[in-house]
Amino acid sequence: MKKTLVLSALLLGMALAGPANNSLVVGTSQEPPNIYDPWNTNNLAVTSEINGYMGAALIAPDDDGDLYADIATAVPTLANGGYKVVKNAAGDVVRNSMTYSIRKDAKWSDGTPIKVADFQFWLKVVNDDRVPVPERTPWNRAKITAVDGDTFTVTYEPPYLFADQTGPGLAPSHIMSASWNAFDNATKNQKDAKVVNEEWKKFISAFTTARNLPKVVAGPFRPTSWRSGNSLTMTRNPNYWRKPKGDLNNYVQTVTYRFIPNTNTLKVNVLSGQLDAISAVSLTFDQAIDLQRSERGKFKTYFVPGAIWEHIDVNARGTKAKELDLDDPRMRQALLLSIDRDALTKALFQGKQAVSNSWVNPISKLYKKNVRDYNQNVAQARQLFTQLGWTPGSDGILQKNGRKLALNFSTTAGNSTRERVQQILQDQWKKVGVQVTIQNYPASVFFGPDMLSKGQEGKWDLAMYAWTGNPIFEEGNLFKAESIPTAANGYAGQNYSGWNDAEFNRLHKQAQTEFSLPERIKLFDRMQTIWSSELPALPLYYRVNPYTKVTGLNNYTFSAYTLYPSWNAYQIGWASRGAAEVNKQK
Amino acid sequence: MGTYILKRILQMIPLLLLISLVIYGLTALQPGDPVDQLTFGNTNITPEDIARLKAAYGLDQPWYTRYLFWLGQAVRGDLGYSQDFNIPATEFVFQQRMPNTLLLTVPALVLSTLIAVPLGIFSAIRQYSLPDYLLTFLSFLAFSAPVFWVGAMALYLFAIFLPNVTGGAVSLPPGGLGGDVPADAGWWAVALDKLKYLILPLSILMLREIAVTTRFMRASMLEVMNQDFIRTARAKGLPARRVLYKHALRNALVPILTIMGLSIPGLFGGAVITETVFSWPGMGKAILDALVSKDFNVVMVSLMLLSILTVVFQLLTDLAYAAVDPRIRYS
Repeated sequence: MKKTLVLSALLLGMALAGPANNSLVVGTSQEPPNIYDPWNTNNLAVTSEINGYMGAALIAPDDDGDLYADIATAVPTLANGGYKVVKNAAGDVVRNSMTYSIRKDAKWSDGTPIKVADFQFWLKVVNDDRVPVPERTPWNRAKITAVDGDTFTVTYEPPYLFADQTGPGLAPSHIMSASWNAFDNATKNQKDAKVVNEEWKKFISAFTTARNLPKVVAGPFRPTSWRSGNSLTMTRNPNYWRKPKGDLNNYVQTVTYRFIPNTNTLKVNVLSGQLDAISAVSLTFDQAIDLQRSERGKFKTYFVPGAIWEHIDVNARGTKAKELDLDDPRMRQALLLSIDRDALTKALFQGKQAVSNSWVNPISKLYKKNVRDYNQNVAQARQLFTQLGWTPGSDGILQKNGRKLALNFSTTAGNSTRERVQQILQDQWKKVGVQVTIQNYPASVFFGPDMLSKGQEGKWDLAMYAWTGNPIFEEGNLFKAESIPTAANGYAGQNYSGWNDAEFNRLHKQAQTEFSLPERIKLFDRMQTIWSSELPALPLYYRVNPYTKVTGLNNYTFSAYTLYPSWNAYQIGWASRGAAEVNKQK
Repeated sequence: MGTYILKRILQMIPLLLLISLVIYGLTALQPGDPVDQLTFGNTNITPEDIARLKAAYGLDQPWYTRYLFWLGQAVRGDLGYSQDFNIPATEFVFQQRMPNTLLLTVPALVLSTLIAVPLGIFSAIRQYSLPDYLLTFLSFLAFSAPVFWVGAMALYLFAIFLPNVTGGAVSLPPGGLGGDVPADAGWWAVALDKLKYLILPLSILMLREIAVTTRFMRASMLEVMNQDFIRTARAKGLPARRVLYKHALRNALVPILTIMGLSIPGLFGGAVITETVFSWPGMGKAILDALVSKDFNVVMVSLMLLSILTVVFQLLTDLAYAAVDPRIRYS
């Protein structure tokens, strides 16, 4: 009887999760392979989101892209002297540096103060050749110099364009150093990289996995339980220094992530009230639209403008591309003018995913607002086809020199949204005489080594997929000439359309070393004008990130700058428990 | 008999080696590798970064060299780390996923067999009666309906519709593995919590198993009951119950044993669709994910385990034939 009562109480507690026990239950469709790996050797979005609860940074952007100080006492700027740019006699920037002061009350979750040594340890490991960090830019050119126990300078030489937007990471040297030294000794003379990697996995998995939870963290929550395949629970870190308005007890004390890989099951969990919110890594757009129809005041669905750009690369390389005039910008313009992207986004996305005209994210400071808008204009498209010598044949399909304007249109098989987009566009192109055959591939083939990068061999004509365009760290690298994959460079690089424009390349190089934002804006303005006229890719839309949260959950927000709702973890709380609302979802 | 068993065990060794080569080769020959997935979309990554990562993961070597390396390590008992989970592949498979799968599949097999065998016998001895027609109809319905559809309907019914209609009095969780109570809440609370989550996927899995086994049992019983030795037994005036349970059932169980023998490796492999629909973190889903993300060591541990179980249970099934059918001898 007693057991039954205890169980009933526990189950009731779960059913009333949220305000009743001041917890937060979040659903996500992915489970991270490991958490709080200071060197991010996996790049899964869900890992970054969960790390947000447990991590702290020197400085970070808020939902509007404005920087705030977390571990640092202030955001270093040119105005306050914390950010320095050093130029040579010719006026070129040769190095830049940021000076950070660590807050006196910044501590690891075990109460140990965060020190300069923690940043130095992090930098040493990230640059070690034995560590499988995906990319080391810009840390391979960074140096940390301690000014005193709590102040240090990060110098980038050659200079780093976004030095003022981000800082180095940190790792608890007092916890990890001994294990790192053991790894160092064990692999010092090891020639086999695979053996070294296995040793690395042993080292990192001692601090980051379900069986070995992080020993200490720096953020507002610390992990307390991880049931592999099921859930991860984090509780308030009493040693975290930033405090929300009013009593800390008014804010969420426990956060549980439930891993529900099937997004339909995740949807059912939202409808049945088992989840207070869902992660930024969860539902498809269609599922979110369905949920929006079923809100009934219990929860609210949000569509947050994101950083993921959907587009169609046009293969301008190889003999077939030349025969079809795909290497001529007029053909690409005609293809874009033939389709009605407004109608497409209205039909499929209720207009929530706005049509894009540039690869630069519309919320970025570099975005050119008046870039040419290719509204559907069939008359103009026909004119361009005629200029290129394409005339309608007896079957209505455009023909030239006995060849039909027939294109293969590929994307990732099984992605129902993209497949629907394909069908609408195929129909629209058919009306102007372009025959489009849909030929899709599994993601492993589509993104594999033998497809996109082999455009030269005529393996595809039109390829639809997405890029993540970070509104802060936009460098314009997608379309630089060095990124064209060729046999000579071992098919490295991701400029799959093979577009190569001398002026764009020159401006891009210039922009890479232009440290003045207003000047960079001017360069990007021109780059976007050129790109828009040349159209190496047909822009479609920027995706939105859908998610839901129960009414009354405050400060659970994100944007394309912050990416995940965990950015503001210390302030997340329930209105009914007295949590003040500081950030509203835009 | 002993010589026969030894011969069969020795035959397993080259067979398993061949299977491991085929599995490794086919997995490695898929387009792309884990590094491609890690680097796609990162425009800052350099060819040197890619080369460094490929060397770190051993992907700069041809697949057969990697296979030989894997085999060399495997015979020493080291089956490598999971690329995706940063823990030993054996730990991921045996400690994190397999217990969940067994929790779902073993009760499904045992309970469905306990239900289906009597139903099959009942259906066979009342051939062409109303209950037989009804059982036949329900069996066909159960194994014709797609598992993902039945699962989705069950989720809707028990997690949304009934809780709404009954004000929460009738409710089952919408997928997952439990965890509503703290791990230290006591075994009884934890077990009940898990049971609550187990009911729906277990029922869906059992539905199909019951349907299939009932049909097999019915067909097997009918075949045996039409044979001469049953007619002889009846002609001798043996009681119907004795003819049925002593003579017919024992022979009718041989094909059922075959099915069960072949089903057992499947228990460890998990029920992919059921696990997917109910977000049950078991082996089926794990193998699928590992194949997609090219987590080679997890693929090898999982599929080799299934291969070993298949050949071992085939041997055990063959031996079981001899136990239930006196005509079968392996000497």
